[in-house]
Amino acid sequence: MPVKESKMHRKGGRNVSTRQMWGFKGVRALLLMALILIAASCGVGQQAQQGGGGGGGPTKICMMPKLVGIPYFNAAEKGAKEAAEQLDIQLVYDGPTEAKAALQSQMIEQWIQQQCSAITVAANDPNALAPAMKKAGDAGIKTGAWDADVAQDARDVFVNQATFEAIGYKMVDLMAEQTGGKGKFLVVTGSLTAPNQVAWLKYMRERMKEKYPEMSIASVQPGEEDLQKGIDITKNYLQANPDTAGVFGITSVALPGAAEAVKQIGRQGEVAVTGLSTPNEMKPYVNAGVVEKFALWNTVDLGYLAVYVANAQVEGNLPKSGTFKAGRLGKVKMLAPDEVLLGPPVVFSKENIDQYDF
Amino acid sequence: MSAAAAVLRRLTFSREVVLLGVLIVLMIVMSILSPFFLTVNNLLNTSRFFVEVGLMSLGMTLIIITGGIDLSVGSNLGLSSVAIGFSFAAGLPLPLAIVLGLVVGTAAGLFNGLFITLLDLHPLVVTLGTFALFQGLAYGATGAEAVSDFPGWFAYFGQAYLGPVPGQLFIFIVAVVMVWLILSRSRFGRYVYAIGNNEEAARFSGVPIRRVKIAIYSGIGLLVGMAAVIYTSRVYTARGDSGLGLELDVISAVVLGGASIYGGSGTIAGTVLGVLIIATLRNGLTLAGVPSTWVLFVLGVLLLVAVFFNEFFRVKEE
Repeated sequence: MPVKESKMHRKGGRNVSTRQMWGFKGVRALLLMALILIAASCGVGQQAQQGGGGGGGPTKICMMPKLVGIPYFNAAEKGAKEAAEQLDIQLVYDGPTEAKAALQSQMIEQWIQQQCSAITVAANDPNALAPAMKKAGDAGIKTGAWDADVAQDARDVFVNQATFEAIGYKMVDLMAEQTGGKGKFLVVTGSLTAPNQVAWLKYMRERMKEKYPEMSIASVQPGEEDLQKGIDITKNYLQANPDTAGVFGITSVALPGAAEAVKQIGRQGEVAVTGLSTPNEMKPYVNAGVVEKFALWNTVDLGYLAVYVANAQVEGNLPKSGTFKAGRLGKVKMLAPDEVLLGPPVVFSKENIDQYDF
Repeated sequence: MSAAAAVLRRLTFSREVVLLGVLIVLMIVMSILSPFFLTVNNLLNTSRFFVEVGLMSLGMTLIIITGGIDLSVGSNLGLSSVAIGFSFAAGLPLPLAIVLGLVVGTAAGLFNGLFITLLDLHPLVVTLGTFALFQGLAYGATGAEAVSDFPGWFAYFGQAYLGPVPGQLFIFIVAVVMVWLILSRSRFGRYVYAIGNNEEAARFSGVPIRRVKIAIYSGIGLLVGMAAVIYTSRVYTARGDSGLGLELDVISAVVLGGASIYGGSGTIAGTVLGVLIIATLRNGLTLAGVPSTWVLFVLGVLLLVAVFFNEFFRVKEE
């Protein structure tokens, strides 16, 4: 017995009656601890069920963001809850506290046990979630992805927030509006290899070539999703190249970095800034006039649509082509038999930015 | 009869029995909270998630008994996982890649052990350094990319079932028995306790302190390598951030199991119960629909309460 040995090493001979005495108190204390735990978990459990449940219907949709607790995914949750209430179905919205694929796959496996009607996830890694999602599919659960796709053979449908083409074109159009359709531009990205950013850049170049031949991208610099780095890169570049007409920040960190740099060197109004980011990040710069307009999809609507699509999967009436009617969003397009498109990107400006909170 | 009574008494008041009681109470609570919890299917399936942490906890128990700690196990898991994935992607046959993963895990542990004993540094500082070092190496060597085009049979380690029982559970049970035998049935195990109780005294009694320490840090490295094979197979992907943060789960399980962070006490039975309690709590609360942020909170409460009672007991026992 390992117990005995450890005690022997530590204390040598010990008085039995002392052990008995403390042991007895100890058991009582531990019982108390168990009671506290029960109370704690019951309390938390009830609270969560009130907050997490959407409605009373038999359909139960389990929806997972990349992680919980950031504004972007909180906004999606808001939309998802709204949809669940309208459809009168039960919604479980939960995800890991860190953006890690392994934690997600564990949660998916637990959801399979929980007998969800449909599971839809925003994947941190398309392949790492594939085994768990396939298992869910084998268990008769409808599977889907939203925001970030899972390997195609491991899910039934993907809810795409915006096509690369629409996003790339929109950013160039916004910049052209402000600079008269000409000039040299700096692009600040997250990393040079991120597939979505590479694809956006491709369509940005395409749009310039076809519609605004006097516009050109002079340099692409990675900001590595670090705000300070984005600020430094933009500042240095603008000081070395004063003829730059504008800066694109194409991630939610790169855009505020670019805007902050232009503000710090006092060239707002002279150097145009636009790109992709969330309204909350950009409010100070839009209100200060550094950024006139920028784009993103509406995350609340993305969450809303993901629930509508999952519900249609459960009811078996998701079309293979044409359009699909999703509550207040009206008709949304089927890009492919297994892909739904949220719609064109939303443009944020001084006029509408205060309506959004994410 | 008096002997039987003494055994009974010792059984009643041992920490392990109390932990077992807590586990049973938790299971009852969870089955009330969620109808899905107390099903054979769910319980067996849950075991797929604690095996990796469980394997590492076994090694961590020995380390904590000697008064040491290893913060680098999570990073080491990522490094070993990447070693398997990227050597395979570079053309190494998969069986050899798996062996390489085990070797890298063990080597990383050996590195910790050598650093700690030869320079006589505190394990906390050394493994804090290698925590960053291993993770940096795992990221740097792979450019934060992932490998996931493994052949089908690789799934055997983390996704296979024998009947309804997940395959990795057998690996875990074998490992538990092995480490238990080493710790409580061998001279080596006595050395481990002796170092934790009083390192000076152990030295003068002729315990080969350096060799024992190097062996236990290498040993946890091997267990990390095994966990990395299972983990990589389970998520079918090798990437640098695998295992990140698992060191906290591992240390929590060992401390919950009654090992003293000051060294000298701790048992394999206690650690296994600690692993089971944490797994039950996580699984049960998730099934009951508790958001993961609150699961984390409840786990924190549990740990604080456990540490408080553990240390409280110990003071009284002295």
